[in-house]
Amino acid sequence: LSIDTICKVLSSNFTVLLIFFGTGSVLDQSLESLLHRLRGLCDNMEPESFADHELVYLLKGQQGNPFMLRGRRSLLHPTAPWHLRYLGQPEVGDKSRHALVRNCVDVAASHSLPEFLNEMGFRMDHEFVAKGQVFRKGAMKVVVSKLLRVLATGNTENTEPLSLSYIVELSVLAPAGQDFVSEDMRSFAEQLKPLVHLEKIDPKRLM
Amino acid sequence: MCQLEASLESLHARVAHLKGSLQSFILKLENEHDRLTWPSVLDNFALLSGQLNTINKVLKNEKTPSYRSQVIIPLLLSPDRDEELVKLTEQRVPVFSHEIVPDHLRTKPDPEVEEQEKHLSAEAARIGPEVAQKQIQTLNKLCSNLLEKLNNPRDDRDSESSASRQNKPSFNPADTNALVAAVGFGKGLSKCRPPGSVPPGHPGQPTMSTGPTLQQVTIAGTTGHQAGMGGQVAQQQPGQPGKMPSSIKTNIKSASMHPYNR
Repeated sequence: LSIDTICKVLSSNFTVLLIFFGTGSVLDQSLESLLHRLRGLCDNMEPESFADHELVYLLKGQQGNPFMLRGRRSLLHPTAPWHLRYLGQPEVGDKSRHALVRNCVDVAASHSLPEFLNEMGFRMDHEFVAKGQVFRKGAMKVVVSKLLRVLATGNTENTEPLSLSYIVELSVLAPAGQDFVSEDMRSFAEQLKPLVHLEKIDPKRLM
Repeated sequence: MCQLEASLESLHARVAHLKGSLQSFILKLENEHDRLTWPSVLDNFALLSGQLNTINKVLKNEKTPSYRSQVIIPLLLSPDRDEELVKLTEQRVPVFSHEIVPDHLRTKPDPEVEEQEKHLSAEAARIGPEVAQKQIQTLNKLCSNLLEKLNNPRDDRDSESSASRQNKPSFNPADTNALVAAVGFGKGLSKCRPPGSVPPGHPGQPTMSTGPTLQQVTIAGTTGHQAGMGGQVAQQQPGQPGKMPSSIKTNIKSASMHPYNR
């Protein structure tokens, strides 16, 4: 999460966008090679580093799946606004589509977000810290991050890595209806092989 | 006679093409050398080589009369500037005089080239026909081997690099799934209630859910018991090549202490 994204979020208000995902992972020891490759393939900008604390809130209803909201704050920029995101269920569509498509609503929020959500009835389900870098190529965004488990609730100083790998996510924010972007993502994903194998993974299947 | 003219025409045309591509290549090298990529330089060389090939073919063509048997005799030499000649030769030969004729109408090769040719033909005569034939065959075999290797890259590359690649996989699919699950729905992350987030006895909550069970999780340091609750599995992957930094297992005590029990 960077100042850049936050500004985008602030200016876009309640824009509903679709996100396409390709996900993979890279072992710690191969991280450098991946970063080199990404620096070559992506837009020639200094990659942005981020360290974010994400809290996932659930609102459990009487029936159906709980409603999930994600609140994210930057540990590097403590005074920046929080980032609240809603991610819809992956669209069941075209199986041949090589990317996952989900509705996404991004909003900026003040620092009283946790209290506000609690008042609304949400309960924090889990939290984690993500540290890594963001690369961009045109409209595509590649996020390479290390997920860290928070050992004591709310204490982001005391963390440990979740695994020996970094998670690599390729995504695009596109206005609803635009579908051709996944071709670009597919060719980009090809270029990251065999270092990283990016594929469409539906988290629901891993439940 | 007209055969000679026709062949000269086509030769002239081919040479003109070659000249054109050489010129453009030189221009490119001089002006755009910092922006030039190796593949485009290779393309230029390929073009030149193709054009040289065509010229060779024209020369070897059976319809082409042997130029060796032709003789060019200058009929008129004059030290005066000839405008037509200037135009024909693109400003390179202004005067058709005694000085330029020996150079331009020369049929003998350069002395060095002549030397080399003599040397080569002497060498060829020395080794005899059988040895020469064997050398030709070896060369052909080498070329075809190389071509085969180049045309079937997959077989060779796979056999030699698959061994080295197996030692260093750069990603672990199990990790991928674990990370995606963690981001997706918090698998492997402790489920918790943030402390102090529950205002005691707050009246009039609009959207209260009835009867959900909140689970409290305590984290044991080293050993613990696997959680018995459905869906809350500790993140243990003993089969991984690396080792997890800690062996955190979660003890789950279910607590049905919803603060807003009404």
